[in-house]
Amino acid sequence: MKSVLEILKEIRPEFDFTASRDFITDGLLDSFDMVTLVAALDKNFGISIPGTDIVPENFQDLLTIEALLAKSGAKL
Amino acid sequence: MPGQVLDAVQKAKAGAKAYCTNFFPVESKLQSWIDHGELFAEWQDGAVFFFRTDRDFRHFYFCADRAALEQGMMSSTGLKAGAVTTDLVGNNATLNQLLTAFEPAGFRRYTQLQRLARIGCPETGGDAPDAGFAEKADVPAVQGLIENSFDRYGEQLPLPYEIEFAVEYRQVLVVKRNGKLAGLLFFETQGLASSVRFWAVAENFRGQRVGSALMQHYFRTQAAVRRFTLWVDAHNENAIQKYRHYGYAPDGLIDHVLANRMITS
Repeated sequence: MKSVLEILKEIRPEFDFTASRDFITDGLLDSFDMVTLVAALDKNFGISIPGTDIVPENFQDLLTIEALLAKSGAKL
Repeated sequence: MPGQVLDAVQKAKAGAKAYCTNFFPVESKLQSWIDHGELFAEWQDGAVFFFRTDRDFRHFYFCADRAALEQGMMSSTGLKAGAVTTDLVGNNATLNQLLTAFEPAGFRRYTQLQRLARIGCPETGGDAPDAGFAEKADVPAVQGLIENSFDRYGEQLPLPYEIEFAVEYRQVLVVKRNGKLAGLLFFETQGLASSVRFWAVAENFRGQRVGSALMQHYFRTQAAVRRFTLWVDAHNENAIQKYRHYGYAPDGLIDHVLANRMITS
């Protein structure tokens, strides 16, 4: 199983996600990337992230994404 | 209020089995549309529709369960009230199914845009001495060149107040020659990402390296950006070729623009 950071790097290899505190404000992820990321997270962790949770505040940084995964039933 | 709009979106999401949307609002833009009285909402069973007034037509956004979307579009009063466009963004595989839902509601394919992207800032050539940021006095000419160069139904052209805002925030580059606007490059930068919205050269100034001066100046002013994107008419080979020259390539995202029967061009 891949880590969240590995998945992010696959989607946007040009960015250093460890150096950002806010992926959205820093321009590392846009709304289209969020949809792509959700599909990759669902597949990787065998979960289904609800549409209601696909909002920018859940994709701000690694911690918020991991919290979203935990809430959606992923085993991290 | 943007909060009310976002609450409505959340409600539509919460009740959806198969949620679909083309509404990805940035809060500042949403506030601006509300402030200018451009945004209207229509509730349907299991769906919320938004209409944004733009010149002589409205652009349609939906947040809905897939089945509710189909039913809602058939009974929507907003969709029957005049010229309406909408757009669906994704990859071809996911969009083809959704597109079939729009035909019974009176929509047809109007045009198709594709997203191009490049990573990192290129080395730029020599100086472009006559390229610089637009000033407030340039707004009417900037608007005129955009209106003459792009399709208002297909490419979501900025209204005068949006151009004023972009000029104020140094998001419009221009080249002026003999006191006239020769070309412009209108862009948006967010952190490490930047998107070219419009790049145009006035007809009388083509072939005089105005476009390349603008693009080189753009890259020079955005040296910290890591990811550059733009949307281009998928059938405009000339424009695509020019963007390829600057290292842009398709990233797989497509935007199908649809129009209802009131739009005939």
